Amino acid sequence: MRVSIPREFLPGERRVAATPESVKKLISMGFEVCVERSAGDGASLPDRLYEEVGATLVADPWSGADVVLKVRPPSELPDGRHEADLVPEGATLIAFLWPARNTELVERLRARNVTALAMDQIPRISRAQKMDALSSMANIAGYRSIIEAAHHFGSFFCGQMTAAGKVAPARVLVIGAGVAGLSALGTAKGLGAVVRAFDTRSAVRDQVKSMGAEFIEVEIKEEGEAAGGYAREMSPAFIEAEMALFRKQAREVDIVVTTALIPGKPAPKLWLRDMVESMRPGSVVVDLAAESGGNCEVTVPDQVIVHHGVTVLGRTDLTSRLATTASQLYANNLVHLITDMGGGKLAVNLDDEVVRGAIVTHKGAVLWPPPKVAKPAEAPKPAEKPAEKPVEAAPRAKHGAHGAAPAGGDSVSTVTWVAIAVLAAAWGVMRFGTGALGLEADPSVRMFAERLTVFVLSCFVGWQVVWSVTPALHTPLMSVTNAISGIILLGGMLHLHGATMGLAGWLGVVAVLFATINIAGGFLVTRRMLAMFRK
Amino acid sequence: MMEVFLSLAWVLASVLFISSLRGLSNQETARRGNSYGIVGMCVAVAAVIFGEKVSSQHLPVLIPAMVVGAALGTTLAKRVAMTAMPELVAILHSFVGLAAVLVGWAAYLDVDQSAGSHALLYGEIWTDVFIGSLTFTGSIVAFLKLRGTLSGRPLLLPARHLLNVLSVLACVVLSLSFIWQTGLDRTLALAVMTGIAGLLGLHLVAAIGGADMPVVVSMLNSYSGWTASAAGFMLENDLLIITGALVGSSGAILSYIMCRAMNRSIWSVIFGGFGGEAPAPSSTASAPVGEVLATTIEELANELMSAKKVIIVPGYGMAVARAQHAVRQLADLLRERGATARFAIHPVAGRLPGHMNVLLAEASVPYDVVLEMDEINDDFPSTDVVLVIGANDIVNPSAQTDPASPIAGMPVLEVWKARRVVVLKRSRASGYAGVDNPLFYHEATRMLFADARDGMEKLVAKLK
Repeated sequence: MRVSIPREFLPGERRVAATPESVKKLISMGFEVCVERSAGDGASLPDRLYEEVGATLVADPWSGADVVLKVRPPSELPDGRHEADLVPEGATLIAFLWPARNTELVERLRARNVTALAMDQIPRISRAQKMDALSSMANIAGYRSIIEAAHHFGSFFCGQMTAAGKVAPARVLVIGAGVAGLSALGTAKGLGAVVRAFDTRSAVRDQVKSMGAEFIEVEIKEEGEAAGGYAREMSPAFIEAEMALFRKQAREVDIVVTTALIPGKPAPKLWLRDMVESMRPGSVVVDLAAESGGNCEVTVPDQVIVHHGVTVLGRTDLTSRLATTASQLYANNLVHLITDMGGGKLAVNLDDEVVRGAIVTHKGAVLWPPPKVAKPAEAPKPAEKPAEKPVEAAPRAKHGAHGAAPAGGDSVSTVTWVAIAVLAAAWGVMRFGTGALGLEADPSVRMFAERLTVFVLSCFVGWQVVWSVTPALHTPLMSVTNAISGIILLGGMLHLHGATMGLAGWLGVVAVLFATINIAGGFLVTRRMLAMFRK
Repeated sequence: MMEVFLSLAWVLASVLFISSLRGLSNQETARRGNSYGIVGMCVAVAAVIFGEKVSSQHLPVLIPAMVVGAALGTTLAKRVAMTAMPELVAILHSFVGLAAVLVGWAAYLDVDQSAGSHALLYGEIWTDVFIGSLTFTGSIVAFLKLRGTLSGRPLLLPARHLLNVLSVLACVVLSLSFIWQTGLDRTLALAVMTGIAGLLGLHLVAAIGGADMPVVVSMLNSYSGWTASAAGFMLENDLLIITGALVGSSGAILSYIMCRAMNRSIWSVIFGGFGGEAPAPSSTASAPVGEVLATTIEELANELMSAKKVIIVPGYGMAVARAQHAVRQLADLLRERGATARFAIHPVAGRLPGHMNVLLAEASVPYDVVLEMDEINDDFPSTDVVLVIGANDIVNPSAQTDPASPIAGMPVLEVWKARRVVVLKRSRASGYAGVDNPLFYHEATRMLFADARDGMEKLVAKLK
């Protein structure tokens, strides 16, 4: 099979989809690799390096290719031809495709019967991390955003005490603590700046803190995490509070890096014109969302502008500005995906969650977007194939479900039936059996029935109450019930009536002694245990 | 008038006891719940003393008895190590049983022979003494087994079920002569029955293996409740009936939960002799394949350094080695590094329901990172490292995959779905169920052969 790597021709794009290192791996998998001449120039990877590892340098990488690896989505070449039309019929194309934006491109690829996999659609699951090109690119963009900001910022990042005077450290605010945001704040921290970060997803707080940055929050509690760990849109009240927070920050910080993206939507406007205007002159805003419209109101994509003395960077080519490393990581992501798909025996397995997520067109059909999996946790588990299912598991599992709910239906009805059966049996014995058993005319029979009622009701109450006890407190439950079963001491005490202390009385006293051990021991040990449970 | 006063006191005490159990529904209200229980008990005792139920000339005997009992109880409660909670609970059960037997005998001696037939009363006495005696001896055996004085191995007498049935039958026959005064002397009949019930208790618990003690202790908890209820019938006291029923159903529910978690039938616990059947020869299909890969503390430390999500699964081995403090330090270190470190508790981990929770609480692990099996089982696939400390059967995948396994169908923690599982164990021996554990052969699993505490402390030192 032949793998082809065309040169990225878009202006400003310096990355390439293969490095000599990745080419070596592809060849060892059994591929034949063709690289378009000067494809790696932008990334400082001259042709001879590719040749040395066994790649063929070609002028036309498209014809005869089985697999085409690219960075950017196919687009129109300067000579008027469209890359999508150059992909051989039935071949496989792996690149960033952004299928939601590029519907026309998807249609072209479908029409040409191309198997197209979008690197931007690799699902965010643990197994696919090594293929997650968005993360590797975001990491680079985040790093580079700080480097760019430092370039335009007229001061040190780290505070310094010099003989000539004191320089305060730069204050950096990172909005959106995703991969790019975390990378940016780590870089800024490394340069010595004071770093703060904001994110709507409270789960990232610990990550921010672990990088040594401060996590700032709004007062309102609202969770901003959506499926797959991406952010979602927030309520108006939240946004209002967020804006107030940003306005306050705007007067304090020197550098702002915005990285907020919501999948499939234009970037939210978070850093408004008035915030830019209230920043100190000389401050820098780096808008990593410039390509999707920008988080900052004054951002102009691909341009560096100065607004009221504040430099606003709308660069969309941050990853290309670190082209060698970006190419290396992207090429590795591609190699991992290809390895996952069978390496030299590349095949499309639609049951593979990763492939299913990334695939856009296949055999003349558009397969994107993939069907929604209700919940990753509920994905079919191989261990539960019917054949392997333990015979006894099913009915017990049913009980299990009820047990988990307090006073679950099944359990309650069982208890109810038992209670009715006990009472009915008692009634039967008394109605028909009293004569035979010599219980006739005994007033205690009626009393017994009353006590039985109390007993059954108490069992019912106990059953209800105890189901609500949290499993973590089952040991305290045992010790406290132990203590209250010491109530048997009443039994001992009730024999201490009358003038003299008979044998019964002495037995009662001993019973009281033991029951008191229980009461004191049970309650105290429970108290001791409960005091240990803390949040 | 006095009767009305007493009834009010009983109602008040009952309500307080119910609130006490209700309070345990979560950690915030639990302490208040315990206080309700204490107040309830004080109300009940005060009511009896001031309600003219006790002749004042007996107080000089009664009060010292209570003081001595309270002092002993306090000492026990203060001294007991949290790892020894199961033993304490078991021995306390035996006291309830003993008290019930004594109260039953006292009631028997107190029967006013002149009036009426008293058949019902005798029946109640008989029930009370029977359950009390059984609870008493059963709990003592459970206590000794938990302490390790008696071997945890089940005592399997030949024809043990027949023995049990014969003992129960003998007790029933004796009850006839006891209640209706036929043949044997009443006192002798009651004495013989007390002895037989005691032996039955011994035998029932002796036949149960050490690993199944959580169920046995819960069962005995339940019995101690029923015996208090029986005493209530006998003494015509509603408070005893209500309290006994509360405790009885609490124990019954715990036993039910434990049985479900171990996939045992409740009947096999009541009738004894389970947990010790020779493990069925594993079918060849399920014989573990692959090899056991050992790891070192250094490797594990490196792995944990880079992990983002860690779950720790503690088992009885952690309790035995008293490693809970070292484990807490480990979790703290991981959290400081920004990883999430949580604990997964199987319902039957340890020797008492909720035992692991208490041990972790003792080591100051916040309870909101300690999760139940059902809460955390879905999270294993997204977990980087699972650390299994001294647990075996509760993480055995053959419970799900091998219908021939003795633990088939038992719900287990699905640790093998994580990216890496490290099992800390002293040796390669199989768990109490005597089943080989395919987890150890799983490709994601590494074994760390060490004492739990020693290993944990070294690991913590390494991570620091």
